[in-house]
Order: sequence, then structure tokens, then C-alpha cells
Amino acid sequence: MLSDITLGQYYPGNSVIHHLDPRTKILGTLLFIIAIFMATNTAGYIFLCVFVMAVILASRLPVGMVFRSLKPLAFIIILTMALHFFMGEGEQVLFEWKFLRITQEGLAMGIKMSLRLVLLLLISSVLTFTTSPIVLTDGIESLLNPFKRIGVPAHELAMMMTIALRFIPTLIEETDRIIKAQTARGADFSSGNLLQKAKNMLPVLIPLFISAFRRADELAIAMEARCYRGGEGRTRMHELAYTKVDVGAFVLIVVVMAIMAALRWWPL
Amino acid sequence: MQPLIELQDLTHAYTDAENNQVLALQKLNLQIEQGEFLAVIGANGCGKSTLAKHLNALLLPTGGKCLVNGMDTQDESHLWDIRQTVGMVFQNPDNQIVAAVVEEDVAFGLENIGVPHAEIRPRVETALKAVDMSAYALHAPHLLSGGQKQRVAIAGVVALEPRCIVMDEPTAMLDPLGRKEIMATVKKLQREKQITFVYITHYMNEAMQADRVIVMDHGQIVMQGKPAEVFSRVAELQTLHLEAPLAATVAADLRHAGLSLPRDIITNEELAAALCR
Amino acid sequence: MSIRLEHVDFIYMQGTPYEKQALSDVSLTINKGEFVAVIGHTGSGKSTMVQHLNGLLQPSKGKVFIEDVDLAGKAPNIKACKQKVGMVFQYPEHQIFAETVFEDIAFGPRNKGMSEAEVEQQVHEAMDFVGLDYETYAKRSPFQLSGGQMRRVAIAGVVAMKPDYLILDEPSAGLDPGAKEAIFERIMKLYQARKIAIILVTHSMEEAARYANRILVLSKSRILMDGTPREIFLHHRDELRQASLDIPQTVQLVELLRQGGLKLPEGLLTEPAVVAAIKKVRGLH
Repeated sequence: MLSDITLGQYYPGNSVIHHLDPRTKILGTLLFIIAIFMATNTAGYIFLCVFVMAVILASRLPVGMVFRSLKPLAFIIILTMALHFFMGEGEQVLFEWKFLRITQEGLAMGIKMSLRLVLLLLISSVLTFTTSPIVLTDGIESLLNPFKRIGVPAHELAMMMTIALRFIPTLIEETDRIIKAQTARGADFSSGNLLQKAKNMLPVLIPLFISAFRRADELAIAMEARCYRGGEGRTRMHELAYTKVDVGAFVLIVVVMAIMAALRWWPL
Repeated sequence: MQPLIELQDLTHAYTDAENNQVLALQKLNLQIEQGEFLAVIGANGCGKSTLAKHLNALLLPTGGKCLVNGMDTQDESHLWDIRQTVGMVFQNPDNQIVAAVVEEDVAFGLENIGVPHAEIRPRVETALKAVDMSAYALHAPHLLSGGQKQRVAIAGVVALEPRCIVMDEPTAMLDPLGRKEIMATVKKLQREKQITFVYITHYMNEAMQADRVIVMDHGQIVMQGKPAEVFSRVAELQTLHLEAPLAATVAADLRHAGLSLPRDIITNEELAAALCR
Repeated sequence: MSIRLEHVDFIYMQGTPYEKQALSDVSLTINKGEFVAVIGHTGSGKSTMVQHLNGLLQPSKGKVFIEDVDLAGKAPNIKACKQKVGMVFQYPEHQIFAETVFEDIAFGPRNKGMSEAEVEQQVHEAMDFVGLDYETYAKRSPFQLSGGQMRRVAIAGVVAMKPDYLILDEPSAGLDPGAKEAIFERIMKLYQARKIAIILVTHSMEEAARYANRILVLSKSRILMDGTPREIFLHHRDELRQASLDIPQTVQLVELLRQGGLKLPEGLLTEPAVVAAIKKVRGLH
């Protein structure tokens, strides 16, 4: 069912990771992604895996739930692995059949590449699971603020993200309901060629758009009624403030990067 | 004492999709007192919602005046004062909740008017407590029941400490339990915080609990008075396609058959008392 | 001619932290010609239950039969069987999509494979049933109609499929009293003319008492009671109250009057019956 999707879902908690400033978490995630791409050898990958596991445990999220967030992208992960397995160049041939050739190098490359993806997805899920959407957008807004001078509408972008995140579950539910209703009227969404299929989706898409517009309209009025008038003069319930823990987190991520650099250029 | 809201010949005209001139409100005169619970009923399209939107300057009069606490809604310099004085709760709770966490949604209005950071949290907590939703402060709104969502929406308005809350069919999309929750919340806020309520509804049993009822038809007020006065006029309500309470209908039938009963029976208890003397 | 549920269990989002048992061991038979009201709280399993009746949801355990065809089986006519059951969802006007009223109502009949002539006839009849004049409205855009009219278009879209069983999920939600009355008048007309089964999901005890000849009470994902309005509202008032469901206003009034010493007979359910009984004990005509 559509509503099984857990996209961008926040899992409230009280861990150190939950309490980090969102800016720390966003920048930390970005830096960690750079660290992932610095990995070249086995030691580097093992270290990254250990670090990600440590972060997941420190966040006290249900481990199974974090790993389930890989599911929607499992196809891409497996495809990456398969492509490298079969297409990888290399000397050490392990298996050969017609044009298919699996080499040791290809095998290693496949595992490394898909591992990179897995680590990237896991660390970003920790970010979204431990940061409420609003706090996350506050963080993004605050990080974008310096760019306001060159015309980046930081507040508006952040408000758009907030509302989008808020309405994703509502619209998923609505889509589910419309699909059911049209199915009950005999609609067929699976047969025919691509063009026919696209046409078959109209009875779902049109009501969905109409409803989205109606919701947007009502929401705009409700926001206006609650004195919304743009970013000017707004205050915050969650004021962002770096604490000692954030400093600690930054030090940690710098240490991680240093270790990765060391492992890359001066391998054990 | 000056009434909290005063409508003087309030008129609202607009042009519809087929280019016809429509008078949604026609020279409405009404005074709403501080602390009053006023119910507004009427068939769909009678102008109830248009009226509601005038009360906090979401719509502006095309004729006449709407005064909120002495401030004219046409005067733009008072716009934000008016919206802080009169809050609004709409029909669909899903389409008025902005944030993905309950307490952050309640804070939304306070952030908009620039309440200092240190004051926001206590006001959010007070507002959630006032609607009995403190336990849900960190919940995601889309997982709450309809009645709970609507109470979050009310908390978001209560946090702004308004003197009046206008509710436009707040229970139309709720189940009976949710409707009871909203009614209880309204009465509690009226009692404890002396908030004035303008309550639009199709449910007669809700309107029966108000201090005063006005009935609208074609942009005009056609009946008004205490619930007992309005709801005992069974025949008139029926011509307006409105429902009279069961007790009032039965009493009218019995009176018609020659039984002498008090004029203002609207509840089962009142009818039983009159019949079982 | 019936729909049959046998020991149906349904679990939402199985295997996730949000897992929830929505139906447990539900067995029932609904025959053609019945008018069944399904009542119960939000979350009692009402909506889940009715979505099993036309195969929109498949049971986690148990079986569903439409006219003795097992919906989980391999019979070739399963799709045709499902289409014997029409379903009007809550706020059905939110599913309207076509440019004209005619096109929207014709969607179901066309999917069912009716010929164009048949489609037109069905659209015509369906519009008659819901009280929309064909000449006036067929070529209009449904999006320019009033809320009550749009709902009738949506209901007509299901009626035009000529269902033998029609499920209506709170068809009067959000309408004013006049429009509510009009919708039910149309539903009753359809019920009587076509002798189909109506399954009405409602929160209103008044609607259930007034229109249905059988009531199903769901509570905590199970069938709590199944009987005529008379049996349920007159003999099981305490169980209803325990499940914190309301009882109809008329029943409450009669209870009060009897407690007050008025010698009314038992079994009064409708307003005219109550008025007549009071007149009788008071010696009026």
C-alpha cells in the first residue's frame, strides 16, 4: 500500500544525535559524504561502516527501521553492484561465459560502490529520522541565510519545504483513496501500452491536482488568518544555537575525515 | 460597553463564474458581545462562510462596515491587530495545520507575530493544555484523529490569545466523538478564558448549546434569539430547509392536535417534564 | 444472491511498527434486497469491512464470496463479480475528473464494457435517480456545480454501473439538512425501484433507525451486534452505551417519557409513531 512509504519520517527521541543542532547534522552529513568518497581501501570501508553503526546506535533508533529505509532504493543498489560485477575491468578472471566476465577487481569494485550508496543512505536516514522536518528546514534556512544577499529566497524555500513535508502523508493517503474509488468504478491501471497507461492515470491525477490546489488555497487562507506575512520579523520557537556537543560533533567528524585521508594516502 | 464586533449594513457583492452579480451578504447588522457564544446556522450558500471571513478581514466589505473592537477592517494599519483579536478555525483540519509536529504548528502564529523566543514555549504549552492536547505535543498531526487535529488547530489560535474565535463548521468532517470533543473545548474556553465564539454549524444540537442563535438565508439574518426561541419555531425552520430538534417537532405536532404545551420546548428533557407533570 | 465474509481478519501495515488489526474474525452474509446500516466508531473497522465486500482489500485471513465466487480463487468471472458491488466513498465528489457530467458518469459503465447506446441509457437513468435533469446538466462541467450537486453526480457515476449491491460510506457527510434529506430520498427510491442491497456506513443513529432494515454494529474490529433496528435500539441500549455509541433521539425521548410515568407502549422507533402514541395516551386525535 502507498501509505507504507516512510519518506522523510521523523522518529522522536531523546538521544545525543536528536539533540544536535540541525546545522551540525546537515554539515556533518555533507562532510561524511565527502569522507565516503575518500575511501579507497578495505580498512577505510571498515572504518566507515563502524562509524555509521556507532552513529545509528548512538541515535537509539530501532536498527531494523533504519535499514528498512534502504528498501525503496534496493533496486539501484543491486543494479550498481551488478553493473560493476559484470562490466568491471580487471586481470583476475573468476568466471567467464560468452561476453560475461567476472573479475576479482570488478567484484571488489561492485561491493565498494554499493557499500558507498548504502552508507550514504543510512547516514541521511539517520539525519531525517532524528531531525523533525521543521527543525531541518530551520537549519537549511539558517545555512542559506548568508546567500540571501545574492538573491536566494531562504525563508520562502524553507517554508515550501516545511509545507511539502507536512502534506506528503496527506496526499499519499488521498492518492490511495482516489485509486481505490476509481478501481471500484472499473478503472484499469495496468493494461495497455505506455501512452494508454498514462491516459488511464488521468482519473487519478485530475482529482489529485484539484484537491492539491484546493488544499493549497485553504492552507493559504488559514496561514493568513494566523498572521503569516513572510519571513520579515518572524521569531522562532526553536532558536538554533550551537552547544558544546555540537563542537564535539564537529571535532569528531574532522577526526573521521583525517583518519580517512590518512588511510587513503598512507595505507596501513 | 462597546460590543466586541459590530456589523453596520455589511454588504458583500461579487461576480460569479457566469458574470452574474451576487450579493452574498445584504446589509447585515449585528452586534457580538464580549464573552458570548453565538451560533450561526443556515443552508449551504446562505452567506455564513462569507460572514465569517469578514470578521478577521480575510474579506473586506463592498458596502457598510465591520468593526472589530472598534477597529474598521478596511483600515489596513489595523490588519494584524484585528487578526490577533479574532482567530479563525476552518472546516478541514488537514488544510490548516502547517507544521509536521503538533507543538510547532501551535507556535506558528506566535512566530508570525514576532513573539520573543523565550515566551513562545510557555504560550504553546498553555494553549495545548487549554484544549487537552498536552500529551500530543510531539506527535505528527496526520496520525491524530479528526477531533484531535481540530483541537490542535484551535490551540494554534488560542496561543495568539484572541478575544474571539470564529469557527466555520469545525465539526462537519468529524465523527460524533470528535464533535463532542470540540463542543466541550469551546465551552471550556468560553468559561475559563472568556473567549467569544462565533460558531457556524449544520448540527442543531450544537447550536442549541449556544447563548444566542442567528439563522441566515440569502445573505440576511432571518431569525435570531435564544436557542429556545429559535428552535421552537419548527415550521419556519422547515421552510428554510433546516432541521428542528425532535422535541420541538413533536411538541409542535401535539400542540397542533390541541394539547397545550409551553412555547419554548427544544430538548427531550423539557418535553418529558411538560408531558409528565 | 449474496455477499459472504467468512472468518475475515485484516491487518494494516503488517510487519511495521504501525501494524494494526482492523478486523478480527468477521463473518456475515448480506443478501440482495437488504438495507444494512453499518455503525460503529471511527477505527472500529467499518470502512475496512466494507472495502472487503468488493475486493478492494484482500483479507489477511478468511474468505470473501460474491454470489458464491471466491474472490481469492481462480474463477474467470471474478472481475465481473466485483463489479456487481458499487462503492460510493466518503466525499465522492472529490473523485470527479471528467469535463462533463455525462463523461464522468459514463466512466464506470464504459469500463464495464457496455455499448455506447447502453451507456447513454444508464447515464440517463442514473441522473434521473439522483434527481439531476439530463437536458440541463449532462453537458455541463461538473466542477461548476454546487457541492450537493457534485455529490449527486458522483453517486450517479456508481449507480450507472447497475450494481446489485451499493455501498455508501457516509453519503450525507458535510451536507446541510435539506441536501441530506434529498440524498436519502433518492437512495430510498433507488433501493425500492431496483431491489438491490444497500450497505450504508453512517455515524448517525437517526439515519440507521429511519432507513435500514438491518443494523451491524462494529466495535474494536469485531461485529458486536447484528439485528433489526428494533432489536438493536430497543433491546440493546445498554450495550450501545457501553460501546459509547448514541441511541436515536426518538428512543431517548420515549425512555424519558416512560420514566416520567407516561404509559407508552414499547417498540416506538420513528417520530410519527412516537407522536401517535403520545396522542393516544392523552386521548387526542
